[in-house]
Amino acid sequence: MASSTLSLPDLDRDLDLDIASTPDRPWQTVVWNDPVNLMSYVVHVFQEYFGFSRAKAERLMLAVHHEGHAVVAEGPREQMELHAQAMHDYGLWATIRKAPE
Amino acid sequence: MTPDRTVVLELTRLEALHLAGLVRQFDELLDSTEQAADDPAVARLVPDAYEEDPDAAREFRAVTESDLLSRRRSDAAAVIESLRPAIDDPHPLEEGEEGDLVDETGDLTDTVTIPLDPETVNAWLRALAAIRLVLASRLGIRSEDDHDDEDPRFGVYDWLGYRLDGLVRAVSGD
Repeated sequence: MASSTLSLPDLDRDLDLDIASTPDRPWQTVVWNDPVNLMSYVVHVFQEYFGFSRAKAERLMLAVHHEGHAVVAEGPREQMELHAQAMHDYGLWATIRKAPE
Repeated sequence: MTPDRTVVLELTRLEALHLAGLVRQFDELLDSTEQAADDPAVARLVPDAYEEDPDAAREFRAVTESDLLSRRRSDAAAVIESLRPAIDDPHPLEEGEEGDLVDETGDLTDTVTIPLDPETVNAWLRALAAIRLVLASRLGIRSEDDHDDEDPRFGVYDWLGYRLDGLVRAVSGD
């Protein structure tokens, strides 16, 4: 009895910590490099759709170009799906994923 | 970032006719494709949104495909509409004796001026980008180095890129 009353609060605390330290990971919209879309067009799309500054749009475009992909947005899944559809509407190749751990 | 001013595009009448032809072909391709998955070029316009979850990708496509493809159609229609003054000639081109196109009213190299309001510019940008994706799929372009200078279709692809880049610069104020 003594041991269980000692261990239970610990267990509770561990559970709380567990929940607090791993909040549901957000979702991400990822734009992928392709050999067709022009760099200038991708910058334009990032600026127009996301309202990014020219500098940020260029930075993301270069990340897509050189690293093969870039995370352009993070948040709830439904919102990321809207972003992905918008990217597809512009002809960009975008996917949705859970943020990596 | 949405351009709030009209962009004035200048191109030759020959270019306008050529572009209208490409846009019509693009529209016919969309019309003749029942399922995007049937044609890799059309499939590229509605790509997988989930890399590692085919079910989620299928669901996403089921919800978005029809909107995305009808947008391609309305963009194509908007481009044709704005080209109309340049391509609708009261004296249409006739086939000459040699089978060449003869222009009785003006030179095909005449420059035509096409004003594009902000909404129409966006339709043009999306349409040119989408047609390039289709051409790239047909040409088997998988990397930026895939280019055949001898193949005139690459010339068309490059020309569309040149026009798209010019429009992007015009709306960005470069």
